[in-house]
Amino acid sequence: MISFLIFLSSGLFLGWSLGANDGANIFGTAVGTKMLRFRTAAIISSVFVIIGAVMAGNGTTNTLNELGSINALPGAFMAGLAAAITVYFMVRTKIVTSTSQAIVGAIIGWNIYSGKVTDWSLVSAIAASWIVCPILAGVFAIVIYMLIKFVLKYRRISLLRQDNYTRIGLVLAGAFGAYALGANNIANVMGVFVASNQLHGLPLFCGTSLSPTQVLFLLGAVFVAIGIFTYSYKNMDTIGRDVMQMSPIAALIVVISQSLVLFIFASSAIHNWLEVHNLPAFPLVPVSSSQAVIGSVMAIGLIKGGRNINWNLVGKLSAGWISTPIISAIICYVSLFVLANVFNLTVYL
Amino acid sequence: MFKIKISIFSKTKELENKIDCFHDKIIDSATLFRKAIKIFLTVDDFDEYRSVNRQIKAVEHDADNLRRDIENQLYAHNLLPNLQADVLQLVESLDKINNKIHDVVYKFRIEKPEIPSELHNNFKILCNQVAECCEYMGIASRSFFKDLSIVRDYIHKVYLMEQESDITCNKLKKSIFNSDMPLANKLQLDLLISEIAEIADIAEDCTDLLQIFTLKRDI
Repeated sequence: MISFLIFLSSGLFLGWSLGANDGANIFGTAVGTKMLRFRTAAIISSVFVIIGAVMAGNGTTNTLNELGSINALPGAFMAGLAAAITVYFMVRTKIVTSTSQAIVGAIIGWNIYSGKVTDWSLVSAIAASWIVCPILAGVFAIVIYMLIKFVLKYRRISLLRQDNYTRIGLVLAGAFGAYALGANNIANVMGVFVASNQLHGLPLFCGTSLSPTQVLFLLGAVFVAIGIFTYSYKNMDTIGRDVMQMSPIAALIVVISQSLVLFIFASSAIHNWLEVHNLPAFPLVPVSSSQAVIGSVMAIGLIKGGRNINWNLVGKLSAGWISTPIISAIICYVSLFVLANVFNLTVYL
Repeated sequence: MFKIKISIFSKTKELENKIDCFHDKIIDSATLFRKAIKIFLTVDDFDEYRSVNRQIKAVEHDADNLRRDIENQLYAHNLLPNLQADVLQLVESLDKINNKIHDVVYKFRIEKPEIPSELHNNFKILCNQVAECCEYMGIASRSFFKDLSIVRDYIHKVYLMEQESDITCNKLKKSIFNSDMPLANKLQLDLLISEIAEIADIAEDCTDLLQIFTLKRDI
């Protein structure tokens, strides 16, 4: 069990960095514009991240396991570490990156090293979802923007009342966003450890219990929450003041559209409903909340005339799409080689 | 959650009422100013003028208290965090209108200037334009808090009235300096007229601020 927890550390570290970075995306503008206190934002997002991860984290995890079921603990450790190193490197070079893209790259690296067949149709479906993610977030942002504009024009809500509604909206949307983040992104943090999980189930009240996978997700989500509490304040402040200088209503639009995208790509119910009705179903894939935020912000910029759009960001977004999985795959492949040949550890079965 | 929601909305309602009352004071002040000058020019009873002056003083005092309450409540309950500075600046600028009106009316009371009867009509027109300018400013500012869509209309009216008051002011000054009254009287009236016109200028400055804040309120 101790060795399992030691190997799990890379995933937990990835969870911490996810909380520090992506937690800021959810409540960043609300905290930065002082609409919400950091403590309130951190408590709400932590609680809902954990609920989302435990209750609905399975969908995206299954997709990652279909891509590559890492069956040896040292292999899973290295995949998590490779993803974490890649995200760290990308953040340092200020390229918009995502733990989702990093972990997919790391799994492909493990597939190549272990000689397992990579399902390239699944890879292309996942890659397509990354491109769709910011576009869809942008579409949602435009629709919500127009809706709010219409309501404000015809309902004539007073300034103070509008401020109250926005505040309540930010709390609700933030809670939903945190739930969606937990459901969608827990696969990045803990997905690679599912096949080699050694944790036991946890009995709860009234005859309910958590499965071993849910306990694994709970552990990962707790580290996401720690990331939110310990390190996201600085990022929230940066996002609120520097990156997205926008009104609280625009912030609300961004949070709602981002949350909707994360939810759509994580909800098995929506996926099954679309399939039953013979409609094109969104794959259950972990997507990047940062890229969804950029998509929404740019869409709001576009609808307002496109004057304030930072086209540099588009370049960095595309650079992230391509470079993150490739770098992560290379790091994972080389590290697995070192782990297997220098430390004589079994990295695949 | 329900309790928190009720508490947030009650605080909002209270502040909304205070902001409303503050704007009422601007409009009251402008109306009383118009009345005071009319009494000064037409009625011989100076007690009545003093009474209106006291009313203006009371309105100014109430407006000061409301301004302080609004400022305190905005900060204490962290309402409108992104517009706090703008609202404070606007409220403080509007308060200057009340202060100036009180100063001018008080100046008439202590200086008791002699105004030739041929100038009375233009004097009344000027005061009327200045008062209207302030009233429109009050409505424009109130709309900023309640109904953004009509702010622009009233801003335009303020600008228009301020221009009209400038024209009347120049006309009056020309008449004064073309008259035969002693230079000391001329200079005294010139100064008083400039002070009256300055009330409209302050309203115009508030309008400039309001225009920027309105643009900033867009999503």
